[in-house]
Amino acid sequence: MAQHSRRFSIYVLEQSAPFIGFLASMAVLTLIVMGLGEDPAKAFAGIYKFALSDPAKLAAGLSISIPYYLSGLSIVIAFRAGVFNIGNEGQYFIGGMVGAIAGVYFHLPPVIHIPVVIIFSMLGGALWALIPAVLKAVRGIHEVITTIMFNNIALALVNFLVNGPLSGLQKGTSLEPQMKKILPSAHFGKLNGFFRAIGWNVPDYVYLDYSLIVAIVMGLFVWFLLFRTRQGFEIRAVGTSTDVSRYAGIPVSKVQIGAFMLSGAIAGLIGLQEIFAIRGFYTYNLASGLGFDGIAISLIGKNSPVGIVFSSALFAFLKQAGYGLQLYSKVPNSVTYAIQGIMILFIVTINEILVRAARNLRKKEVG
Amino acid sequence: MDISFIGFFLVKGLEISSPIAFSAMGGVFSERGGVVNIALEGIMTVTALTLVWGAITFQSIWVGLLIAVITGMLMGLIHAVVTVTFKVDHVVSGVAINVLAVGLSRFLCQSFFGAETQSKINPYLFPKLLGINSLAFWLIPAAALGWFILYRTVFGLRLRSVGENPEAADTLGVNVTLMRYVGVLISGALCGIASATLFADKWITGMVAGRGFIALAAVIFGRWDPVGAVLASLLFGYADTVRIVFASKIPIPDQFIQMFPYVLAVVVLAGIVGKSRAPAWDGRNYEKGEG
Repeated sequence: MAQHSRRFSIYVLEQSAPFIGFLASMAVLTLIVMGLGEDPAKAFAGIYKFALSDPAKLAAGLSISIPYYLSGLSIVIAFRAGVFNIGNEGQYFIGGMVGAIAGVYFHLPPVIHIPVVIIFSMLGGALWALIPAVLKAVRGIHEVITTIMFNNIALALVNFLVNGPLSGLQKGTSLEPQMKKILPSAHFGKLNGFFRAIGWNVPDYVYLDYSLIVAIVMGLFVWFLLFRTRQGFEIRAVGTSTDVSRYAGIPVSKVQIGAFMLSGAIAGLIGLQEIFAIRGFYTYNLASGLGFDGIAISLIGKNSPVGIVFSSALFAFLKQAGYGLQLYSKVPNSVTYAIQGIMILFIVTINEILVRAARNLRKKEVG
Repeated sequence: MDISFIGFFLVKGLEISSPIAFSAMGGVFSERGGVVNIALEGIMTVTALTLVWGAITFQSIWVGLLIAVITGMLMGLIHAVVTVTFKVDHVVSGVAINVLAVGLSRFLCQSFFGAETQSKINPYLFPKLLGINSLAFWLIPAAALGWFILYRTVFGLRLRSVGENPEAADTLGVNVTLMRYVGVLISGALCGIASATLFADKWITGMVAGRGFIALAAVIFGRWDPVGAVLASLLFGYADTVRIVFASKIPIPDQFIQMFPYVLAVVVLAGIVGKSRAPAWDGRNYEKGEG
């Protein structure tokens, strides 16, 4: 019994880095707020008021966390296979565009059209991951470099296509460059009515749309794949040690290419909400940086499909917190971006320390 | 095309290559010591801001440069503490520092200049030589100096040994931790210089625009050698110069010309693999008794 509780406390020790890191970064935020001559109580009251004070605010947070979750999930699958997919930003832009092409040019009934745009978004993202994946597996070029290059290529490419061949604007309009409007049959409806029916008063301006279902389904899928299938076991084995996996007869290159492309496919879904629910058209001015945020979200969530539920909620909270600070105190919004970076550094560092400590404790236990 | 145009092109290309080249040299020093530094981009973003702030505040671009170099070393210090002392994965730390840099630079810009996305105009600039920022000409002696330090000094030998085989170096009494710290700090300082060759007249958010990442490709393409990295940077820099100088003259959509340096980087990397080998212990943490 005593041993049992001891094991449990080691487990808790291992898992507690995100919480300690969060608290530490909030302490830093407090210091910054005080340094700016603002009352921390006022600042945190502003954060609370904007981010947490009523069910509508929480629903807005959930809405913001949907693309964060998908972005994090895309990185989870890559990290688990030992792949650093820094390219999910580019995969997100390309995937969204390919999905939007299906949404604009295909004439289908809604029950088919919506799954089709989802699948096309995934295909676009996966395709954009293909070349870096192959270059890594076949030629050994580190994917960090190639994916960064592919991000820049993707941005230039969508910029060209949206301004040129795919442009949906009449000449001489002053609207931002964009594709044609997504057809109504591919438009993502909202689930707000459902939430209201079960007693959560989600106001109309909040987007809890079909992309929420996509995120949940993909999360369950990735969890099942990773922990309940042979392919998932291979992915995790490769991520733990390519050498050992090779000795065990696992086709390392194939597994990494597969995981890389799945990561790209999920990255292709990041833009669903903005393109198919909020804007109703594709533009290259989609929220930038969502792809990079996925890396942090995955790390903070310990590369787990369950863990990133919390870390994507945390990122949504931080975003809301930034607006709250801006609105209710004289602390600028930009401070929350700096805090994000500080928080990641705290969490990964503290995690490293705690995991080591836990390992040492285990060694002692064994004898 | 007359002589003066060719001369202009050559000199302009040197200026455009400089930010990539100085930061790539920084990458070489960091990686030869065994620490992968993908935070070059973020470090430059912050140093570009402190450069402008320092120049305006002290009414001298040289003080600005000094402050940029110090800031770069401080940012490098964060990376070194996290990776060398606490042994966090180098790419993870680099990604985090890049995130931090975006927010930190905007926050500092807000605090210094009252606006989040751009600074005031800085009238204190480096003297011009042949029509470009004279600092760009430092590149040539700097590459030679970098080569000399790495291959002809005791420090260089120790740094390289730590990146190749830290266990052996440790056994021979080389302070692995210290060497790695110094390598990363040098890369931070060089990022400070790199940002000073960018545009010193004003800081704008996003102004580094991927140069720190191109520099990483230049490190590999240049085979982890200071001179090689500078030559690779010149390749990327001149590719970019073609874009800038000829953009209006060739009938290719601007966006494709924008892609050119990145496509070139991928093609070049795909072509040279097998011929370019990273230091054996690059990106790996060293712990006594684990080797």
